[in-house]
Amino acid sequence: MQLLLRYLPLLLLAMFWEIAARLELVSALALPSLTAVAEAWIELVKDGDLITNGAASLYRAGMGLGLSIVIGAALGIFMAWWRPLNIVLSPLVEIFYPMPKSALIPVTVIWLGFGDGSKILLIFLGCMLPVTIGAFNGARGSDRALVWSARSMGAGRLRMLWDVVVPSAMPEMLNGIRTALALSFILLVSSELIVSQKGFGYLIGFLGASGAYEGMYAVVLTVAFLGFAADRVYQMLMNRVLAWRE
Amino acid sequence: MAGVAHAEPIDAARFFSAAGLVVARSSVVVLLLVGWELFARSGAVTMFVLPPLSAVLERIWIDASGDLWLNVGLTLYRAVVGFLIAAVAGIMLGMAISRSAVARWFFDPIISVGFPMPKIAFLPIVILWLGVYDVSKISMVVFDAIFPVVTATIIGIQGVEKELIWSARNMGASKREVMWQVVLPAALPQILTGLQVALPIALIVAIVAEMAMGGYGLGGAMMTSSRFADSRGVFAALVEIAIVGYVLVKLMAVLRRRLLVWHQEASEPATV
Amino acid sequence: MSSQPQIVIEGVSHVYRPTRGKEVTALENVSLQVGQREFLALLGPSGCGKSTLLYLLGGFLPIEKGSISVDGKPVAGPGPDRGIVFQHFALFPWKTVRANIAYGLERQGMAREQREARVQSLVDLVGLSGFEDSYPSQLSGGMKQRTALARTLAFEPAILLMDEPFGALDAQTRHLMQTELLSIWQRTPKTVIFVTHDVQEAVYLADRVAVMSARPGRIKTIVDTKFDKNSRDVFKAPHFVDKVDEIWNLVRDEAIKAQGGRGM
Repeated sequence: MQLLLRYLPLLLLAMFWEIAARLELVSALALPSLTAVAEAWIELVKDGDLITNGAASLYRAGMGLGLSIVIGAALGIFMAWWRPLNIVLSPLVEIFYPMPKSALIPVTVIWLGFGDGSKILLIFLGCMLPVTIGAFNGARGSDRALVWSARSMGAGRLRMLWDVVVPSAMPEMLNGIRTALALSFILLVSSELIVSQKGFGYLIGFLGASGAYEGMYAVVLTVAFLGFAADRVYQMLMNRVLAWRE
Repeated sequence: MAGVAHAEPIDAARFFSAAGLVVARSSVVVLLLVGWELFARSGAVTMFVLPPLSAVLERIWIDASGDLWLNVGLTLYRAVVGFLIAAVAGIMLGMAISRSAVARWFFDPIISVGFPMPKIAFLPIVILWLGVYDVSKISMVVFDAIFPVVTATIIGIQGVEKELIWSARNMGASKREVMWQVVLPAALPQILTGLQVALPIALIVAIVAEMAMGGYGLGGAMMTSSRFADSRGVFAALVEIAIVGYVLVKLMAVLRRRLLVWHQEASEPATV
Repeated sequence: MSSQPQIVIEGVSHVYRPTRGKEVTALENVSLQVGQREFLALLGPSGCGKSTLLYLLGGFLPIEKGSISVDGKPVAGPGPDRGIVFQHFALFPWKTVRANIAYGLERQGMAREQREARVQSLVDLVGLSGFEDSYPSQLSGGMKQRTALARTLAFEPAILLMDEPFGALDAQTRHLMQTELLSIWQRTPKTVIFVTHDVQEAVYLADRVAVMSARPGRIKTIVDTKFDKNSRDVFKAPHFVDKVDEIWNLVRDEAIKAQGGRGM
């Protein structure tokens, strides 16, 4: 009941959409009714287009994001842990971080073509730095008292890295990963819209170009929902991992 | 950026003098550029996959007497106008949501669902509605950049101590005066953080929109080069875009420091 | 003290209703009268509602039950006749010391020249000369509280409401500020309501100390503490020590009760 009241405005928007489309307040071409979009969605699921393209997209996003998390986190923690690495890498991070990542789309195409490889590379490159910076800031902020007390209890340097530095880096690193998650969807959809032969973005562009606007709306809403759901699920996981933090 | 830009390793300062550190840091950048040039010329990769830096710079030099400034200007115009609209509208909306229960009820679920969505997916719909010209590009930028601003404004306003508001009321400030003279300045650090998140988003989206719609602008130019398999053009555009992004982000950081001279910030929050 | 009390509090109760969790009765049936230019301390353990009473008096919280009047008029919202000083200073961090002090005068539409002169005299009064253009983040705790005090004194409230104003300061600074407050008060007498949980501070500063009990907050007793505070050795004087001891005994029971929490 409370949930209903909370999300009532979204329901109202949906109703407003349906009514506006039915009354043809805007051209049916520009705004198909919500029910028509729902029918198109079911069609797309039935003939498998949504599933195959969706699977391709999720594979790309998953691979790219996974790589960026593993490599980005390791890089950030080692940068905080070993000074020379920091001196070498931090100017590079500073230069590349503000670069609008979408500019890499044509570059990755030059390197790896139109297939999965270029999308995975794009997402990996685009998502790595937020993770690195999160891990670096978190690890750098690890409590001196904790480090010292671990030392005094006889923890070696590697042991300490694992027992003290990594856990302290966790909260900020997880925040960085959340940013990376959002970025991965943006880069995935952008690159598929612009240059691709499969995936959600390709399907959106294809349906739009062939005038199947109900279908285009259906795919757009699906992607939007997936992005939202991924963030929610991630937040739940994050809260569980950080339960020790109260 | 801040996170790293200002995280100059304090302990390293003991080993290098401040000047030495600057030398070390800039020599890393020089090394990267030299490495690019040498690697591209080594024959390990074709000139198509990685044109040498010198060729790319030459291309930028040629562009500079051609469409470069028009392209940079248009991209900046779209990104910055969209960003400014998102900033003003976002702060206003955030204030309204903080102040009015009705606005909060209506917008809260929309914001919390809309923020994590990949709004770029709506690009074809925006094109369908508004065409392929500046209106649709700028609209797309606003649509994407407004969410972090609204969220940051709400969080900032919520975090204002009630004692601060009470003090102002005590000294005879009206509710309106409290909002503009106390609540907004007190929330400014948070709001600026939101703006620092929104600015790179505005650039990313402006460039994607240009790539998808074609025409003038850095994104459009990059796509044209890409279509003609002109890899020098692609890398030239990449360098141009990187410089534009770097300058904008740095300007924003300077603005933050100027506006927050009163604020004791150990280090600026990492922007995303 | 004039025969007509300046502040009349009658049968005031206040209940906090948090969005989650149980209601808390912060104040129950509190009645109190304070005379013109009297210095009254509200003393009690944390959670006894003494700050709540101050906020009600300041007009920051709505009065739900009972009545509070100042100079015969019921309190309805904040006003510059009652100036407040908070424990954590509540300075505007983006304004300099000077601009902080001037803020209330600006709101009252005081002309620029007059305002500047007034701000300068207050800066001198609280001993902040040389720091006029500093931002609060550049000041020590004691200096921040001096600024806050000057900011409130600037608009000349008839009543000064002080919410544990020295609670966030270190012991030496606290003592210095107490002495200075007393001397400022003796030079420009005002009605002061001073919330504290420090018995010695209450006895040293106040004419009367209202001892409050915890959960629900009530006024347990009022102890007269009016005697000469100006001698150097006032803290060692027998009548001072006796008063502190007397009040400490009253408060201790309440503190223990408040700690145990379960009682009540």
